[in-house]
This record gives sequence, C-alpha cells and structure tokens, in this order.
Amino acid sequence: MTVVSAFLIPGSPLPFVQRDNPPWGKIADALDTAGKALTASQPDTIIVYSTQWIAVLDQLWQTKPHLKDIHVDENWHEYGDLPFDIKIDTDLAEAAVVATNEAGIKSKGVNYDKFPIDTGTIIAANFLNPENKLPLVITANNVYHDWQMTEQLGRIAVAEAEKLHRKVAIVGVGGMSGSIYRQVINIADDKIASDEEDKWNRKILSLMEKGDVKTLLNECPKYASEAKVDMGFKHFAFILGAMGGDFSSATVHGYGPLYGSGAAVLEFQLG
Amino acid sequence: MSKGEIIAGFLAPHPPHLVYGENPEQNEAKSQGGWEQLRWAYERARASLEELKPDVLLVHSPHWITQQGHHFLGVEHLSGKSVDPIFPNLFRYNFELKVDVELAEACCAIGAEMGLTTKMMLNPNFRVDYGTITTLHMIRPQWDIPVVGISANNSPYYLTTEEGLEEMDILGKATRKAIEDSGRRAVLLASNTLCHYHFSEEPVPPEDMAQEHPQNYEGYLWDMRMIELLRQGKTGEVFELLPQFINEAFAEVKSGAFTWMFSAMQYPELAGELHGYGTVIGTGNAVMEWNLIKAGLAQAA
Repeated sequence: MTVVSAFLIPGSPLPFVQRDNPPWGKIADALDTAGKALTASQPDTIIVYSTQWIAVLDQLWQTKPHLKDIHVDENWHEYGDLPFDIKIDTDLAEAAVVATNEAGIKSKGVNYDKFPIDTGTIIAANFLNPENKLPLVITANNVYHDWQMTEQLGRIAVAEAEKLHRKVAIVGVGGMSGSIYRQVINIADDKIASDEEDKWNRKILSLMEKGDVKTLLNECPKYASEAKVDMGFKHFAFILGAMGGDFSSATVHGYGPLYGSGAAVLEFQLG
Repeated sequence: MSKGEIIAGFLAPHPPHLVYGENPEQNEAKSQGGWEQLRWAYERARASLEELKPDVLLVHSPHWITQQGHHFLGVEHLSGKSVDPIFPNLFRYNFELKVDVELAEACCAIGAEMGLTTKMMLNPNFRVDYGTITTLHMIRPQWDIPVVGISANNSPYYLTTEEGLEEMDILGKATRKAIEDSGRRAVLLASNTLCHYHFSEEPVPPEDMAQEHPQNYEGYLWDMRMIELLRQGKTGEVFELLPQFINEAFAEVKSGAFTWMFSAMQYPELAGELHGYGTVIGTGNAVMEWNLIKAGLAQAA
C-alpha cells in the first residue's frame, strides 16, 4: 500500500506558539498524537498540501532540497518566530511536476533561496515531523483550482509515489469553520465564534468518523459555504484524492477553537 | 511643533514585474526590460516626490494581509530578502528600510481610539511583504525616506465590501490625525492595481511585451472610466461607483488602500495627475498623483 496514513490538521500557528493556553493546548496535544501515529505508520515521505501556500498561475511544488530558516506569521507576529528545518523528497516532487503537467494541470517546481514557506506547512512539519527524519513533498493551493482538480492533484501525487516505491503519509493542512474574532479576546476563553458553524463542524467530523464518504461529498459544498470553511475545504479534497476517494473511518484527535475558527486534527483509517 | 500635513497621495501599484524590468542591483532576477510605460510613469512620480521633499512615506499594501486588526510596522530597521511567492522567478529583492516608528505608533493608537482593532508589528525577524517593497522601490529607489507600513486587514473580504471599506475610511481618518499631530510632511502610497483580471500563464520570456495587453475588455473599460473621473477630480462619483467597479472589474482597490488614502486626504474633489497606465500580466495599473501642495491644500516645504 502506497498511502500508509492520512491526516487533516489546522495550519494556524497558535497551538505551536502558545500551547500553554488551554484551548490551544488541546489542539497541540492532538497534533502530537497525530505525529506519533504518522511516525508509527512508517512512511518514506510526507506529502503536504497547505491552504496557506497560495498559488495563482500554476500548481507549485517545492523542489529546493533543504529549507531551513525562521518565519514570522503575518498576523500572529507577537507570539514569536516559527523556525523550520525541512528536507524535500525532490525525486517525488519533480515527478509530480511532470505528471501534473501531463495531466493538463500546468505545474512547476520552485527552488529559490528565501522562498516564503507558509505557516501551515511549517506547523505541519514541526508537529508531525519534529526531528526532521522524513522528507516532505510540499504543494500549493492554487486559488483557481476547484474541488475536483484538487482531488486529482492528490491522486497524481500518490500515483507518482507508487511508481517510485515510496510509502507516503498524506497531510492536508487547513481550518474548518472560518468565522473568527476580529477583536482582541481573552485567549483562555476562546471558543468557536458561531454556534451554527460549530454544529456544522461537528456534523462533518461525525460523518468522517463513520467514513460516510457519499454523504460527506454531498454535504461539503454546503458546509464550505455556510461555515465559511478555509479555502472551500480543498485540503480535504486533496486528502480524499490521495486516499483514492475512500476511507473507512476517521479518528478525531482534537477539535476546538483557534481565535474563533474551527480546528480539527483527524487521522483517517484507510480502505 | 508645527502641524503636520499630508502633502500628496499616489496610486502606486506593486507588480513585481516593474522592479524586474528595471534591473536594480537589489533584485537577483535580471530582464531585458519590459513594462516601460509603467516604469516611465513611475519616473515621473519619482521626480514629483523629489520636489515634494516629504519626511515620511506611508504605504498600505494588500499583500500584508491580517485578520485581527490593522497592523503597523514597528521595528526601526528591517532588512532581508523578499521573494515573491507568486513570481519568485522575477522578484528576489534584498531590502533595507527605516521605519518611522513614532508615527506608526501614533497611527496605531489613534486608530484604536477611533474603534479599530490595531496592532504594532514588533518582531525584528518579520519579512516585509513584496507589495510594500515594490511600491517603495518604484516611488523612491534610494530608500532614504522613513516609512510607515500598514497591513491590509481582510475586512472587505471577510465582511461586505462596503463594511470593510468603512473600516479603511476610519483608518484613513486616524492616519490623518496622527500625521497632523506628528508635525510630519507625509506622502501616502496606495499600493493597488485597478482591474485585477489576469492571465493564468506567463509568456517566455516574461518581459515579452508582444504578449502584454488587458486580460479583460470590460475591466479595461472600467479602468478608463474610473481614471477619467479621477482625472476630472470627480472623487465623489468615483466612490459612489467603487463597489460596482470592484465587483465587475475584480479591482484590487477592494483591499482598502485607495479608500484609506482618499479618506486621509478628506476625499478632495481634485483632478489627479495620471503619470501613466499599463497592464501587467493583463491587470490594469495606473500611477496617479494628487498633489495637495499644487492644489493649495498643503504648504510647500
């Protein structure tokens, strides 16, 4: 089996930079649990799709072999730096560039010093691969790509991994409901900003726990619209495509608020 | 201390292609030129800025997007390499800038007094966005004037366009009050493109001007209509049309810089000087100036 594990995680830096805040600490603990599960699944490579790496012209794939730097989040700069040290599986990334182009999705690799690595990717790397033992494949969220094309990207990435005999873990990085607190809050009192969105999140998580893919696919467009889901929930589309369009169930390791928005840490059971 | 003044405002768009076309030593990527009409427009704007002799440049950039409030650069010296995440092949620019922290803090504090959520950016490792850097390079490549960098709160996208632009209007009023209190002679830079429909593929080479033209004819017509109104000083009519323009031309002015600047200038019914218009990967870009000294609305140095 090429895909040995799959996860959906939030891309906000808050659980990483302030895990001693109880609401965010629960998400951080869940991310630690997901990291252990990922390690236990023994992948060769982690494939990461992050909603926060925004692309406009092409589908972008990181092809610089080693990324090591400090990032400061554009919004949460007061909480400090986000260091990262990431190795890239360049063979797989290059293969994905070729394959996605052949599939009609114009793609290219990016290999530039100081290219801005997005917060979501850094959070994924730091929680799920903290000792940098595994190489990553990182790809962008092209804002003009729809659900189907994003699913296709996940499928292609896994198909190329299979050709290279890689076992891979899939990680979709992005939020759930999108309403946020626009004013400063007491962070210890953080909660989902909208009761309706909270209900939506719980409904979707329940469907995922049951592995009810058919109902999920019916509900996701409405969920994305009514709960203001991060980037139309395309990070789930990528995961679903990578899993071949199906999974048997999911474990919710954590669910909670990140400054009012919904955040969930999920592990999907395959097949 | 004498009362500070806003002495001019510029519509100063930030396509990184303009820096790439100019080939300054700070940018790693090199070109054979391109986008000359817009670069020559900026040459005229640079000459005007030289005469204005401002103490400070304030720039509002749509590529520093913040969700919790309106943020202000608050570190006196910021430097590094800025790589455009969309066009890394064109823009890898080594920058160094000096921030007018005192004025930034005043803008932040007065904005909060007026009801906005505001925040100072105090992390010295912060990477300044390429929109801020491109606009500042194009208007003043010497980098010898202190700046105030202001984020684009995502309120026009998170709320309705009208609600979001109301926030930008308040931000403009706060900016004006802070400048007046500071005694500074300030120039405002609205880092916005007009019609933002763009091509989805780059030509090879990117500076092949045989491929450059408006991506969208309706958007082009909107740009010409708005520029003509601005050239006639029909500011009120421009702002009545602004939500429709934003909606139909996918105009980047939605992000707020244009409204912030005009609010700070108190929406003068003053003919803007068009330094030039051109497209960049199909988007519409105008370099325009509202010189409040020439109009008798501010005093010469």
